[in-house]
Amino acid sequence: MSDKMIAKLAVLSDAAKYDASCASGTAGKRQAKKGDKGIGSLTGGTGICHSFTPDGRCISLLKILMTNYCIYDCHYCINRISSDVKRARFSVQEVVDLTINFYKRNYIEGLFLSSGIIQSPDYTMESMVRIAKALRLEHGFRGYIHLKTIPNAAVELQNEAGLYADRLSINVELPTQAGLNKYAPEKDLLAIDDAMASMKEKIDEHKNSATYTGKRLPRFSPGGQSTQMIIGADGSNDKTILTSSVNLYDQHKLRRVYYSAFSPIDHASQLLPLKPAPLIREHRLYQADWLLRFYDFKLDEILQGANGDMLDMEHDPKLAWALSNRQLFPVDLNRADQHLLLRVPGIGARTVQKILTIRRHGQLRWADLAKLRLPLQKIKPFISVVDYSPSAKLLETDQLSARMAEPSQMELFGGVV
Amino acid sequence: MKTISITTVPGFDEWRAAARVALAENLHPSQLLWRMPDCPQSDLFTGGDQPIVRPPTASAIRQQVKVPPAFMSLCEAALCHRDSGRFEICYRILWRLLHENRELLNHKTDSDVIKATALAKAVRRDAYKISAFLRFRKTECRGQEHFVAWYEPEHYSLELKLDFFKTRFKNMCWSILTPYRAAHWNTEVLRLEDNPEPLIYPEQDEVESYWLSYYENTFNPARLKVKAMQSQMPKKYWHNLPEARLIKGLIRDAEPRARAMLDKAEGGD
Repeated sequence: MSDKMIAKLAVLSDAAKYDASCASGTAGKRQAKKGDKGIGSLTGGTGICHSFTPDGRCISLLKILMTNYCIYDCHYCINRISSDVKRARFSVQEVVDLTINFYKRNYIEGLFLSSGIIQSPDYTMESMVRIAKALRLEHGFRGYIHLKTIPNAAVELQNEAGLYADRLSINVELPTQAGLNKYAPEKDLLAIDDAMASMKEKIDEHKNSATYTGKRLPRFSPGGQSTQMIIGADGSNDKTILTSSVNLYDQHKLRRVYYSAFSPIDHASQLLPLKPAPLIREHRLYQADWLLRFYDFKLDEILQGANGDMLDMEHDPKLAWALSNRQLFPVDLNRADQHLLLRVPGIGARTVQKILTIRRHGQLRWADLAKLRLPLQKIKPFISVVDYSPSAKLLETDQLSARMAEPSQMELFGGVV
Repeated sequence: MKTISITTVPGFDEWRAAARVALAENLHPSQLLWRMPDCPQSDLFTGGDQPIVRPPTASAIRQQVKVPPAFMSLCEAALCHRDSGRFEICYRILWRLLHENRELLNHKTDSDVIKATALAKAVRRDAYKISAFLRFRKTECRGQEHFVAWYEPEHYSLELKLDFFKTRFKNMCWSILTPYRAAHWNTEVLRLEDNPEPLIYPEQDEVESYWLSYYENTFNPARLKVKAMQSQMPKKYWHNLPEARLIKGLIRDAEPRARAMLDKAEGGD
């Protein structure tokens, strides 16, 4: 370990930070077996957030690039070949040592390794696989490994990566080929799609191996695959972005789609917009994504509350949907089914479970809602209980939408300690 | 009125043994006074002439009390809280489970249930933060690598995380020091030590500067969200986190750095 290593780490962690995914997602439980010399564990739930930086993001994994040299020229990327950013490259051994040393001090849950493309996609991917392999086989590392696979790398390399990684991902970056043509000329949406499809096949094959053949294949990317889209770099609207997400979840069974508001980078390309995308847009997309995955919402329902093809920035998407479907409210919390309860603004999935439990033993009254610490002002127009129902005026008034708007938008430069 | 003295922290085993005896004697919650080592002032109210009953060991008790498993896990967490009412409230819920309603825990709006759930929730969060924010530093002990951490939990929640550390760092020798207890692991045996000396915590670690460099560089100055950070990592944790000393500077410089990037882009260099 030396100053030179610190300088390298600075370059290669700075270069990796534009990837929004920090999560060490669920990949089952794992720990060193009795008598073996390994280190690490997966606790079964989502990974631990070991620290938080002032951008509000958690540090769960050591998120670095193997190298930021790159032969591609993607305009939104700080590491494109035409950028004059400082370059560095880690050796296989350096990444392995850094991961183990960080892990032993309880800084991280594991490694999230990505890379610029050097020499060729295959050469790059092969070096990344060697890192994961060394961690697993030489050090008995049982923490989390997320590998960003290189598009166009040989399928054999991808298949090997899945044996050591808990999660694999390929970034879509932009939802349309037109966008890619302009900003990432070397990227091909169809090729990305093919790679995701083949990963899905492999993940399913290994997961179901015991059931079909009676012989269990080794774990293959047990945490599934994920991807990221950059928001606001090209002209794609929210409908296009969410349509693309729905396809990714349906077709390739992705665990997560991450959204990353385009943010200004050093050494920016002139093709890029000058203004960063508002963080609130990224936030609304995550909320919509959540509704799609956990709240039984369909995309066209979410778009009912949108302004044309863009999500409402003033109201969260559930509230926006409720405001354009007022005829369904108020919802009787003592009678409504789970599907409808999930649609009440201000009531989350956990609260719905609590409400259903309480209903088995008695009826909910207004005072109970306060005890459950529900946001009374927000839910007031949309619910009724034994001793309360909103006046019809409350729902009908044009003021409702204005009253429900969030007081202030998230600022780019907000807050002081 | 019967006084029960809990002599250890968190006191789960003692509470369980005493609660079984009290149930066998059919003692209503209002007939019990729970005393614990960290609140000696309860003496003021007992008058001094009451017999203090030491709880018998669990094995001395034959009586089996059947309670829902959810209650035991609720108690396991809630009794690690520093709140001096924790023993009383857990006993009261136990009493009510057996005498009033076996489904009591499903009454999410019952005030005893709300209180105990809140205690347990605070403890679980505190325990989670130990596994998140505890930092080991490397030192040597008899020629062997030894990792030492100093941590100040808000409650007596270290016990809830010992299995986690034993599993994750199974082949490492480590010591975790807290103000009330230390845990030492030598890759085979876990030893607990009450009121440890904090002095053996190493002052530095060779890898820490790498960690600081990583923290600095993984931060994106163009999207400052201080509140979001602080809701997850409130200031009370900062003094034991090596990286926290960077936070002020990163926030101060964030806006100028982000503006500089924008200016440079607008300059169309």
